[in-house]
Amino acid sequence: MNNTNLENYAKEITDKFSNKITTTYQNNDELHLNVELNDMPKICDYVYKNLNARLATIICSDEQKNTGGFVIRYVFEKDGAFIFIIVSTGQGLSFPSIALHVPAATLYEREIKDMFGLTPTGNPDTRSLVLHEHWPDEIFPLRKEFELETKVKRQEKEYPFLRVQGEGICEIPVGPVHAGIIEPGHFRFSILGENIINLETRLFYTHKGIEKLAESMKLDETLLLSERIAGDESVANSSAFCQAIEKIAQVDIPKRAKKIRTIFGELERIYNHVGTLAGISTDASFPFGAARLNILKERLMQLNESLSGNRILFGVNRIGGVRCDITDENKKLILETLSEIAYDFDKIILLLKSKSSFMDRLRGTGAIPKKIAYDLGTVGIVARCVGIDVDTRRDHPYGSYYLHNHKTPQELMQHQIEMEKRTGDALARFEIRVQEVRDSFDIIEESLNLENDALFTSIPERLEPFRSSLGWAESHRGQTLHWVMIGENNSIFRYKIRTASFCNWPVIEQAVLNDIVPDFPLVNKSLDLSYSGNDL
Amino acid sequence: MIKAVRKGIVGNGVETIKDLANLLSSKNYRGSVIFTAEPTNDQRKMLEDICPTKALFSIKENNAMGLDNGKCIMCGYCSVVSEAIKISNKPVIPAKIKSQIIDYSNPQTFPSEKSYEQIGNELKEKIQKIFGRSLAIRQVDAGSCNGCEIEITALNNPIYDIERFGIHFVASPRHADVLLVTGPASRNMEIALLRTYEATPGPKIVIAVGACACSGGIFGDTYATTGGIDKVVPVDVYIPGCPPRPEVLIQGLLLAVDRMIKNGK
Repeated sequence: MNNTNLENYAKEITDKFSNKITTTYQNNDELHLNVELNDMPKICDYVYKNLNARLATIICSDEQKNTGGFVIRYVFEKDGAFIFIIVSTGQGLSFPSIALHVPAATLYEREIKDMFGLTPTGNPDTRSLVLHEHWPDEIFPLRKEFELETKVKRQEKEYPFLRVQGEGICEIPVGPVHAGIIEPGHFRFSILGENIINLETRLFYTHKGIEKLAESMKLDETLLLSERIAGDESVANSSAFCQAIEKIAQVDIPKRAKKIRTIFGELERIYNHVGTLAGISTDASFPFGAARLNILKERLMQLNESLSGNRILFGVNRIGGVRCDITDENKKLILETLSEIAYDFDKIILLLKSKSSFMDRLRGTGAIPKKIAYDLGTVGIVARCVGIDVDTRRDHPYGSYYLHNHKTPQELMQHQIEMEKRTGDALARFEIRVQEVRDSFDIIEESLNLENDALFTSIPERLEPFRSSLGWAESHRGQTLHWVMIGENNSIFRYKIRTASFCNWPVIEQAVLNDIVPDFPLVNKSLDLSYSGNDL
Repeated sequence: MIKAVRKGIVGNGVETIKDLANLLSSKNYRGSVIFTAEPTNDQRKMLEDICPTKALFSIKENNAMGLDNGKCIMCGYCSVVSEAIKISNKPVIPAKIKSQIIDYSNPQTFPSEKSYEQIGNELKEKIQKIFGRSLAIRQVDAGSCNGCEIEITALNNPIYDIERFGIHFVASPRHADVLLVTGPASRNMEIALLRTYEATPGPKIVIAVGACACSGGIFGDTYATTGGIDKVVPVDVYIPGCPPRPEVLIQGLLLAVDRMIKNGK
């Protein structure tokens, strides 16, 4: 891919920290740098600030049996490449925090503390994250000695929410069981009159132990599990998982399979964006628009079913390719259905845009400052709505997206002007979704000229133990990143999942600060974050 | 895209479909698993091995095989390895007692199928008998992947339009007659689910929606889950499926009300 770029970065970092990097290793689009624990914060800081790389994820794994300690991989993303900074904790049970240099690292470090029992020294937030207050202190589920089926006792404890004090300030606790048909999470508002002074989110109510569960599963079963990380992102998550395994097995999947993955990925994007637009319309008190958009969503889900056998696209992927074919008959069905839907979609959007009360409700609501979106490492729609130009489909082409990335200089210029104009409010997110639905129609149409090769290619019987790789995809929420390390006998040693929601959740606390309480549902829906994808 | 000239969607046409039974389930739908033949010993072993949620199990006494639909996530892996199993395009029927959602490889009769409109009208009559006019539902997500929520939300869209039968979703358990619970009951949601149950006034019914709620599904019974809603609160009706189709959800509601009369709660 970007091998020259990668070499440049490798050279730049090694020049600067020559005596501190123990080994370097380069593989396709991954650059691995092994460093000492104490030098790590400086190097991470340099990569983040001077190379301007984005923190993609932090992966911890229990490799006490192999290397005698826990290994932490800091993954930065830059220009289509991933830079891994790898440290081992050795005998110690703590590691230096980089949260003060890289704000996005805060949550990852708290997650590592809960799941592995390693203390991030210097992280200002010492509260638990994944394991709620009722979990005993000495339980670390992702350590290898912890048995999956262990039933742990409950303990009585209070979670220390941030207290806002002052005259006239009161608190509104909301959740985890919400008023609508949505997933569970707790929101603690501190308000003065109607104005939100502070919002604190408490998530991980749907924590199901997916990462630990994967370690006890076969590869094919883990694929099913990856589809169910978040039901509405099934194609994106399973594609990312398959890609990771395919990269470990060093196989290239057939072109037909690549295109079918792309088509289903875009179908998933369309039905979810249409559903979110309907939700925005409901929350902006315009049920007519919502009802019409929901009709389109239902039609799209019926199309999903006739193509894949499942209304939310479970069972599309398999390791090495895809399970469902798109026949000539299906192609016709897709073209006919989508052209009708595209026509109706335009009509509804025109209607929505003509309602000044609807547009007024969205304009300026839930605005996110660009600096905050950048610092928190947001991805997907949330990043694009403030003009941060990230899109995994373009930055790290997978499937057959490399075919759709060609833009004329004029188009590129226009794209850049669009990006500059974006204001980060609910209206910007509304408009981006509308645009992405239209783009998806085009991508599907262009992808329908399928090659006549196989649906899948077989992968080797045995994968080499302790090889690891990253897989990624752009779901309708943003980048989803999966890191898999294979264990002995084709088992999974470690499966680290980071969905777009994990990066984007913190931003909601900032987005509501200039708003009043009744705006919250609208802000929440316009961001469209997954609880299950975050909680795992 | 070809722009077809047709009647616009923003007009006043009726979108709600009266008889969905034949229209909705496409012939490709990956629905319930059917035994086409008695699996041999080897096949049984293979099937037990391939099933990711252990929904398929051998019965030693008569060398037959059973399928727990409450565990089945409809992945279709079993139909690939064995000829004795076929995937039908019919959804699994909900049941009141957990053992009723188990199928056996010995031949047995299927319950008669009713159209969506018929089911709805029967339901309407029953609901009117018990609650006067309406049935209020509170949906509780106890750790689901959001798949079941998508289908439950679909009940409210103009195509299924569940409100025409007098069923509506309410914002608080205090207003609810029915708790519609999804997910494998994650440990972090256990207390919240229990409290929601306690906050719901009697008579109340609990419906477990989806494979996860019925048995833990693919998430099973681990440190972070409890392995099914019935481990936390008493369940009246089980709706299998991953996720269950909207018309199956309606069927489940019908069953739930039926049960309520019998128990005289």
